[in-house]
Amino acid sequence: MSIALDQVTKRYQDQPVVNDVSIEVGEGEFFVLLGPSGSGKSTLLRAIAGLTGIDHGRISLHGRDVTHVRARDRGVGLVFQNYALFRHMTVADNIEFALRVRRMKAAERRARRKELLQLVALEGMDERLPGQLSGGQQQRVAVARALAHKPQVLLLDEPFGALDAKIREELRRTIRAVQRELGITTVLVTHDQEEAFALADTIGVMNHGRLLEVGNPNDLYTQPATRFVATFLGAANLLLARQSVDGIRFGATPLSAEGAEPLQGGREHEVVAVLRPEEVEVGTAREDLSSDFIARGAVEEIVFTGALERLRVRLLDEPSAAQLLGAGSASGDPLIEITRTQPQRRELPLLAGAQVALGARRLHVLPTPISSFLACAPTEAEAAEIAREPLLESLSTRMKTRVSLRAIDGLAGTPAPFAGVAAITAGSQASETVEWLMRHGAGEVLVLPKNAPSPARVFIHWTDEAVRRATLAVSASLLRHVSAEAVYLGIVPEGDATGRGTPMRKLLDARSEAQQSHGLEMRTELAIGETVTEITRNLSTGSSQMLVLGITDITQAGTAYRTLLAAQPGWPVLIVYRSKDWGPGRQAARSAPEIAA
Amino acid sequence: MAGPSNAGEIAAELSTRPGHRSLGASLVRWLVIGVSLVFLGALLAAPLAAVFAMAIEKGWTAYFSSFADPDTRAAIRLTLLTAAIVVPVNTVFGITAAWCIAKFEFRGKSFLITMIDLPLAVSPVVSGLIYVLLFGLNGWFGAWLMENEISIVYALPGIVLATMFVTFPYVARELIPLMQQLGNDEEEAAITLGAGGWFTFFRVTLPKIRWGLVYGIILCNARAMGEFGAVSVVSGNIRGLTTTMPLHIEILYNEYNFVGAFAVASMLSLLAVVTLIIKTLVERSGYRRR
Repeated sequence: MSIALDQVTKRYQDQPVVNDVSIEVGEGEFFVLLGPSGSGKSTLLRAIAGLTGIDHGRISLHGRDVTHVRARDRGVGLVFQNYALFRHMTVADNIEFALRVRRMKAAERRARRKELLQLVALEGMDERLPGQLSGGQQQRVAVARALAHKPQVLLLDEPFGALDAKIREELRRTIRAVQRELGITTVLVTHDQEEAFALADTIGVMNHGRLLEVGNPNDLYTQPATRFVATFLGAANLLLARQSVDGIRFGATPLSAEGAEPLQGGREHEVVAVLRPEEVEVGTAREDLSSDFIARGAVEEIVFTGALERLRVRLLDEPSAAQLLGAGSASGDPLIEITRTQPQRRELPLLAGAQVALGARRLHVLPTPISSFLACAPTEAEAAEIAREPLLESLSTRMKTRVSLRAIDGLAGTPAPFAGVAAITAGSQASETVEWLMRHGAGEVLVLPKNAPSPARVFIHWTDEAVRRATLAVSASLLRHVSAEAVYLGIVPEGDATGRGTPMRKLLDARSEAQQSHGLEMRTELAIGETVTEITRNLSTGSSQMLVLGITDITQAGTAYRTLLAAQPGWPVLIVYRSKDWGPGRQAARSAPEIAA
Repeated sequence: MAGPSNAGEIAAELSTRPGHRSLGASLVRWLVIGVSLVFLGALLAAPLAAVFAMAIEKGWTAYFSSFADPDTRAAIRLTLLTAAIVVPVNTVFGITAAWCIAKFEFRGKSFLITMIDLPLAVSPVVSGLIYVLLFGLNGWFGAWLMENEISIVYALPGIVLATMFVTFPYVARELIPLMQQLGNDEEEAAITLGAGGWFTFFRVTLPKIRWGLVYGIILCNARAMGEFGAVSVVSGNIRGLTTTMPLHIEILYNEYNFVGAFAVASMLSLLAVVTLIIKTLVERSGYRRR
């Protein structure tokens, strides 16, 4: 491996900005770190260069551990967003700087400089000062300067940020060509997905300090595993669908979709489907569609953008229709985004207000266990209050999902099936509510104390190995949307006869499964003592902590964990319930590789 | 960049502004310029001219012979010596302080900035008195200094210390905003290219800040040569030994030796004018290079 990062963590004032990131970049690979601003991608790049120290983890370049090696001795080439050329030196002196440091002879320096200037197509500019060059030329000089000492690794920090579109594309081509010619391992940081697609062999998407997904551009675009990647790499319509033994369906219409995981224990549940704007088929009536019908709608808006036409269509509220997830919960009625090519537009010209039938040429189901939230309280008004809780609000916004309301007065009768994660308030009656919800089909319940802050640390614990996979999947999905660190809490009863070996192995198994199957990097901690006491003790060690708890026995929520849910002021607790009947034996029998949930 | 970037371009753009050529506008313009010129003439040009006029009142021979006086020569020598010690020391201190403040975050940073400003706020006489209180005969260290036969007050060390105290903000004050504005990128680039700390400082940082630095040194030098208040308190006015040029001028003036006083004054003024000319030249070439 050319660059290997192992569980790299960097904190600023106790907030992780880079959170347990592990990356391997192969020899000669062009790796693009993509993420919105503040996602920690630049910090990670500076850590590779040695300009920023890390709090945890290891960095190695070509098999050499450089975690504690000074930046000047790492031998990397770094290109800055604002070029950072030495303003008082000529182009020649800039490029020769690294060679001068290494006391290379003047003749050799000159030869190398010629070579580099030719490489970046700037011959004859030797005696210019940086101020006399255009932005694009300055960045070329910066690239040449960074390559002068033949570094093994080239790092580029948003190198095109300050340039206009045309020069950007030209420079992009130059950099790609230089990289290919030299075969140098390259890491580029950007927030521009188009840039990432154009340059990358491999893309790693970061958000909130975490590396969410790594893959080649095509796979990430067509088969994203997370909501964030689906919406950040290109536009995406997110639809709520139901998965049962018969497959995926919206309302009553069954569909064919890719990426759906096999059902767990035959229980019907809610899933999130990704529909790219260009994969939506538009027809005048349902019968005209050649693909699976998803809904009927009215055209709200038509925007002409040259090669493509952009439509925004309001879905009609019909029982058979798909349900669209908006960006926020209360932002009103979301519209479905559609792009059509010019030939498609000519075939069926549309005006605003037209009634259309929509079909999905290609649907991709996200393997996420948290599809939506359902705020449950005795009255609708109280439920609305839960939906306004800051933690729930920020979670649903970040997950681009919605919060529905449900009145569950008196915990009596047989309620309609629950979809998504149920959310209730913490307090003395919380444990009964959890028990009741789970008896009536809820798989995950989020117990929220009033005004709980966004967690900085999430503890993960499960009572039985049968629920390990589900708990890890839910935790991973949650942790992709909050910048918290994950800690698996293994608890051994005092005086356990089995000794320390078994729990240690369980701990390591849990960690490797979290990493491999769910892309979740977590720390592990082993505690000895009584379960609830140990969990409470750990939760009390700091402010803004949270717990994800996996259980297999519904009554546990009402008995053993009662004190945990009733504690004041309390912590947010997300309880994951899976019946033991869907036990590990059946899970192990499943052949499909489990991708990150 | 859109819009004009320097004074000349701004003026050129203003002159094309609609309504610019109206009578009222030009009246206001001439009024403002006139007031400024009258003020400058009355407060600066006239006194300066008077200094030179008085100095050569009795002819050039008298003017030059006043520099032959050994006490005058000693005063000039002392002034130059003081400046030669103070300016380099304050330059090093200024660069160090500005570096700390611009590049690092630490506790007490704002306290340090305030402390650097202190000499500008305190009256120079007080600055001088501090040293008398510390090192004078009845001061804190007076007895000990006496025993070891070290003289600070009423001697060169006292003068140097007082001058240093008064002039130490100039270089630091000039460099702090400059370094904050220029940022750290070039240094970081140098480090990733394999340069060490000293190499980076001399090849990257120093050239980057050189114009600000030269400007700060010139201001520091001007003040070091011209300082009166603080030096007057610690010098003890021992003729030919502890009188700097400003002090010597006062002594000559009090002895009614007007030609001598104004001759030394004219020399001090000339030094100041030369300093200002250098400053202007530096500023100009600084702009051109940027």
